[in-house]
Amino acid sequence: MTKYFIRRFLQLVVVAFIISVLCFMLVHLLPGDPSVVILGPNDTAHNRAVLFQQLGLNKPLYQQYFVWLGAVFHGNLGQSYLNHESVTHIVATGFPIDLELIVISQVIAFAVAIPLALVTSRRPNRALDNVSTTSTFGLLALPPFVIAPIMVAIFAVGLHWFPATGYVPFSQNPAANLHDMILPSLAITAGSIAVYYRLLRSDLISTLQEDFITMARSKGLGNRTIMWRHAFRPSSFSLLAAAGVNIGALLAGTFIVEYLFAIDGLGYSLVQAVQQRDYLVVQGIALVVAVAYVVIQFIIDFLFTVVDPRVTRE
Amino acid sequence: MLGAAGASVLAGCSSSPSTSSSTTGSPSGGSTPGVNTGTPKKGGSVTIGTLAEIDGFFPPSNHWDTNGFLYANTVYDPLMWVAADGTVQPYLAKTLTPNADSTVWTMTLRSGVKFSDGSELTSTVVKNNFTALAASALTGTALKGITSVDTPDPLTVVYNLSAPRPSFAAGLTTQVGYVVGQAMLDQTAAGKTPNPIGTGPFIYSSWQPNDHFTATRNPNYWQSGLPHLDQVTFKPIPDDTQRAATLKTGGVDLILTNDPVTIKEFTGSSQYQLVDSLTDVIGEPTMSFIMLNTAVAPTNDLRIRQALAKSLDVKQLLKIFGGGLTKAINGLFQPGSPYYVSDTGYPTYDLAGAKALVNQYKAEHGTPSLTLSTVTDPRLESVVQIIQQMWNQAGFDISVASIQQATLITDFITGKFQAATSYQFGAVDPDLNYVWFSTTTVSPVGGIGLNFPRNTDPQIEFSLQSGRTSSSQSTREVAYKKLNQRLATDLPYLWLEQYPFAMVGDGRVQNFAGLTLPGGTAGYGFDEGIIFPSQIWLNG
Repeated sequence: MTKYFIRRFLQLVVVAFIISVLCFMLVHLLPGDPSVVILGPNDTAHNRAVLFQQLGLNKPLYQQYFVWLGAVFHGNLGQSYLNHESVTHIVATGFPIDLELIVISQVIAFAVAIPLALVTSRRPNRALDNVSTTSTFGLLALPPFVIAPIMVAIFAVGLHWFPATGYVPFSQNPAANLHDMILPSLAITAGSIAVYYRLLRSDLISTLQEDFITMARSKGLGNRTIMWRHAFRPSSFSLLAAAGVNIGALLAGTFIVEYLFAIDGLGYSLVQAVQQRDYLVVQGIALVVAVAYVVIQFIIDFLFTVVDPRVTRE
Repeated sequence: MLGAAGASVLAGCSSSPSTSSSTTGSPSGGSTPGVNTGTPKKGGSVTIGTLAEIDGFFPPSNHWDTNGFLYANTVYDPLMWVAADGTVQPYLAKTLTPNADSTVWTMTLRSGVKFSDGSELTSTVVKNNFTALAASALTGTALKGITSVDTPDPLTVVYNLSAPRPSFAAGLTTQVGYVVGQAMLDQTAAGKTPNPIGTGPFIYSSWQPNDHFTATRNPNYWQSGLPHLDQVTFKPIPDDTQRAATLKTGGVDLILTNDPVTIKEFTGSSQYQLVDSLTDVIGEPTMSFIMLNTAVAPTNDLRIRQALAKSLDVKQLLKIFGGGLTKAINGLFQPGSPYYVSDTGYPTYDLAGAKALVNQYKAEHGTPSLTLSTVTDPRLESVVQIIQQMWNQAGFDISVASIQQATLITDFITGKFQAATSYQFGAVDPDLNYVWFSTTTVSPVGGIGLNFPRNTDPQIEFSLQSGRTSSSQSTREVAYKKLNQRLATDLPYLWLEQYPFAMVGDGRVQNFAGLTLPGGTAGYGFDEGIIFPSQIWLNG
């Protein structure tokens, strides 16, 4: 077990190193003067000279990398050339928003998908199963930018249950924060529900045909016990793998929802920075998101060992 | 004004404040929607949903669009502003007087005016602002021709010009007319990004770009009795539908919009007050157009520009996307303007003619291919796709690029575009648009030039100089009519529509489009989407 985690951790470090090199190279691979890339085209010659001095842009590339990495470890990811906002601040304000969106949406997705899959997999191809399968197929076809305006029209403008846009930080007002986040979270939940439900249902149907389930039934165990204690765990492998990929994709991948609900999350900031060619912001967010993605995969790897300890022996 | 966001039928960049407004909808507590001359109530806060975020508060270096001016009117004051009768009146300045030939302008400042950091407004601060503005690549061109600025005493500023300029006062209603505190100038010069320090009715409280900008009441504001509100907050909500939905759900109290669908939706509403900028034009309204770069291939070929103009069915475009709100235009000035010409010679829709021109070009250079750039906006992207189809029908190979507003403006300045959607030219006086058309502001591609299409027509420069230096209205009319005709000949701009701006407020928000100038005369309180938050008050 320990060996497994050390190996995985070392892999994480190597991947993080490669990511950091790629992110660092982002600015240098672009054509032209890196100071123009960093400061934008309209800054003064004086400021460019200062930047050259600060970042050692006249030094060999590997030295520049270590200067940059040192700054990153000190929490300095540079600043936006457009409004001079610190990239660390952009990440610090945007990341929790994305994280919260992901956590809420995934909790809802699991809360809907798992019980539904447990119920329908017991009696596949019956009415409930057919309705659920068709409905989730429909959900899969509905992207967030379609779901979001419909939900706003019904729940915000029509029923006045939720606000149409806006965001209050959790630290300021937890109740208002949750109230604001319900609609955006629901808008990105639909796809996850469909994927999780269909994967888990399929794996559960397969697991329920295994000998150990027949044995459990022959011992007289109740359906609930069989489903939760014996069938769910071995069936959740694909679910976990899918969740890992999905959560990774949602990190900074919630742009559409953040744009529609006017939430200044990491995805919104990243897409804006790309469109504005604000490369230091792109670099900083890409670095944080990529490292977060790797860390999430590490956690998923750990969860695999909980679901099936044999993983550590492979 | 340089820079903008959002979308009517088309958008990209805008000009200086113009002077047009109309009001519709039902009033609440006043006789005209958006204007209430009754006794204001003190206190409360208002949240305004805007089109987009700005890139900063510093006049010499930030690209202010309508949103930028909204923020600026919150924490700063302009030296001059436009009165309801179309004249330019002092605002932060007390007086502004020209000499006999308009080559020397003497400004006196109001005494006792203080910035939000407690420092005093003096002629030296105004001069230092001028120095920073003149040194800026962004704003310096607009100040060319001002040879020196003198400060004979702490409250007097003398502008010395190289040539007569009767419209000089109007220039101080634009971005170069806003004054920031000395400490802000100093800190910016030292490479820092300070919070705004202004003389305005509100004091900067917090700014989280893309989330909100909040300012609180300036207790020492120099205009007695103002502002009425305790706090004002701006929230950028980029999606038109969501912005309107947020107003309906009470998430914001006022919204700025340039979306014809939203304008039509709220027009005549009994619950909301709507003020728009489509009628009663006194100066020049903002125009939508497609800008063509005359310095790069293939749009440097007049035949190509003519073919693009002839194959653009503007009426059809407005029918699909404009909802009947606006009409197609044929030039810079509209009926009612003294400079209007009914037939500028601008090409009409003629697909066969366009195809013939494209074929001529094709025989010499091959298929003309170009990129049509636009700002990132789902609606605009749909519009340019239709334009792309129209142009492809004529034989062009068109690709489309969606770019963020600030970046697109940088591309305009450096000439790194072929064709681009834009809006601009709203101005109280046509001379305020001098820098956009002058041959003196043309730079090679890659250099900084405010003549974005890089159109070098000596006849245009002659007309501009004639209009700029003459105080004779008849001479000016001849000059600007000629300008309009030359633009229709050179075709650096393909005209589309008069650009609509509207502000919609819920019933509680009073006087958001009303303005009384410091001298007591009525001012333009809704100028192409720009309002004065100091005048707003809440009823109930």
